[in-house]
Amino acid sequence: MLMEGLVEQLEGIVGRESVVRGKDKMESYLFDETCIPVRPSAVPDCVLVKPANSMEVSRILRLANENKIPVYPRGGGTGLVGGAVPARSGIIVSLEKMNRIEIDGENLMAVAEAGATLGGLLKAVEEAGFSFPPHPGDEGAQIGGLVACNAGGARAVKHGVMRSFVRGLEVVLPTGEILTFGGKLLKDNMGYNLMHLIIGSEGTLGIITKVVLRLNPKTPYSLTLLLPFNSRHDALNTVPRILRSGVTPLALEYVEKELMELSAEHLGEKWVFEGEVFLIAILAGEENVVYSEAEKLSQICVENNGLEPSVAERRDEQESILRIRSNIYTALKRDSMDILDTTVPPSAIGRLADAIDTIAEKHGAYIPVYGHAADGNVHSHIMKRDAEKYEAIKREIYETTISLGGTITGEHGVGKIRVKELYRFTHPKKIELMKGVKRLFDPNNILNPSTVLEI
Amino acid sequence: MLNIIVLVKQVPDIEKVRFDMETGRIDRSSAPAEINPFDLNALEAALQIKEKLGGFITALSMGPMQAVNSLRDAMARGADDAILLEDRRFAGADTLATSHTLAAAIRKIGSYDIILCGEKTVDGDTGQVGAEVAELLEIPHIYYVSRIVNVSEKSITVVSETEDASYVLESDFPVLVSVTRDVNKPRLPTLKSKMKAMKSQVKIWHAEDLSGFLEPDKTGYAGSPTSVQKVVVQGEKTRQGRVYRQVEEGLAELIRLFESKGLI
Repeated sequence: MLMEGLVEQLEGIVGRESVVRGKDKMESYLFDETCIPVRPSAVPDCVLVKPANSMEVSRILRLANENKIPVYPRGGGTGLVGGAVPARSGIIVSLEKMNRIEIDGENLMAVAEAGATLGGLLKAVEEAGFSFPPHPGDEGAQIGGLVACNAGGARAVKHGVMRSFVRGLEVVLPTGEILTFGGKLLKDNMGYNLMHLIIGSEGTLGIITKVVLRLNPKTPYSLTLLLPFNSRHDALNTVPRILRSGVTPLALEYVEKELMELSAEHLGEKWVFEGEVFLIAILAGEENVVYSEAEKLSQICVENNGLEPSVAERRDEQESILRIRSNIYTALKRDSMDILDTTVPPSAIGRLADAIDTIAEKHGAYIPVYGHAADGNVHSHIMKRDAEKYEAIKREIYETTISLGGTITGEHGVGKIRVKELYRFTHPKKIELMKGVKRLFDPNNILNPSTVLEI
Repeated sequence: MLNIIVLVKQVPDIEKVRFDMETGRIDRSSAPAEINPFDLNALEAALQIKEKLGGFITALSMGPMQAVNSLRDAMARGADDAILLEDRRFAGADTLATSHTLAAAIRKIGSYDIILCGEKTVDGDTGQVGAEVAELLEIPHIYYVSRIVNVSEKSITVVSETEDASYVLESDFPVLVSVTRDVNKPRLPTLKSKMKAMKSQVKIWHAEDLSGFLEPDKTGYAGSPTSVQKVVVQGEKTRQGRVYRQVEEGLAELIRLFESKGLI
């Protein structure tokens, strides 16, 4: 039950029109993109607030902290591990009204409020003549959420994940203080780097309200190279060779024909390319350099039993390939129990994929696999048809991943659905340190409780 | 073996291009130039016919010298030859003058069985050039072709879509066929063919190369009975919500709106 008078007090902070009550009015704020069978159930007895500035966020958190009311920070709701789902009665803080973006061309930085969407940021950056290389997923995702979850996505090969681009943060602590970390700086060694502790903390240490992001100059030219193979083994074995060659693509994805056909059909498009499996490489830079890199990659692939590579140069054709790749997830999602996000050292990705096949065979299960090949990040879906074997399959995939020197999550995070596994595969001392950090930031455990850690 | 001509136009990437609201002109420097997307379907149809019966594909375009890049792209995708009609005297052409110029080049090419083109271009959107070329060449044309049912050495059978019906039509050669985007999914060029095409020669024909085939007063600005005065870019309209805290007030406004539209 929510505290009596809470709604009125919140209305006093953000105004009546920015407070929402009632399940029917805030239904879409009660879930995220986590697969339904494993998604935590939301407690609808919540109040949704939409602050307009950091000061309002601060006052909300002070109020919540004084009264020990759980607070659920919310971005675009595109997470896959239940991080934004309110698991107890509390306050949902949606940052959507805080969506301003400023581009600082002199310093090659963007300053975005937490509620600005990825799509909005990309548009503003492009219009100003710059580029923001990572593309960590759904463009409806919000910058605060992307930083809080240290989102990854396909384009992390050359420039890294969100963390690599964050230069500064404004954060409201659960106790209400508004602090800034870092800034428009490329070097900053003043004490422990708390900014990097907050990046990826999944809304458990503070509410990110503003982010300083590094930008790159606009890339003059890009192309998408489609590298077909007849066997998974050949394709994945080629990946380390590509990475050693000196050519670093913006993205290097691994997909299988069957899934691309399924995704294309789901979108009303067609996948017409020969080959059983594909590497998709995005190359960007000066046109002549890009083509010479493309020839080099093509040569490496052909030496490793690859078939004839194709090239998409037009924007519409590049987008079509990437759209079909991105929608494998949406095409499979309806029939999925869970989407795993295991990551191994890049050279072990072939062994992980083979092991997943063996696990599938052992259980008579269907486990579709695709992923960010150069990052060693494999997404495997456990399907609803294999629901009875879900726990066993998941455990075996995780155990194999850990034995290969990997992690159970490369980019999706722990959220509320992988806490048990985090504890299982993490040294107890590290859990103790994490809990200590959490208590320092959030002594009353009000911020996104039951996410990452159980306190 | 069939001789196939594919009409190609270089257009700006229409989703990226900016319009100058003041002058009503397209700022062509604001977006990369590329083959009109509908023409890719025409080229793919040509490739499929060639794969079935054998053939020789010529990509033909009228435009400025930069259009050479689009013709090289056509060669990378499988065209055997490419011709660009480039001359200051061709500039400022409307659809009719463009059609006269293209038809003259086709007469000069001489032997052809099928002329393929996209149903329209994304920049002009008129969809007139294909039909006009066919009329000037005095050959039949079939528009809005969504499916090629059969092709033989002598004739082609297609499905043509109109607003009220789909027609199965057959024509002997020569014929001009204009295709929709449903007709196929254009394939990508291979990297090898792309690299090869970068070095390949595109033939350039100037006005004098068409002498005897083209009357000078039928081309370019001089041959254009129509001209574009201004392009008006439709402003973006978004739906606007209005919240009434008093139900009666909201209902009264709804009734007023319905009445004003003559709905009640």
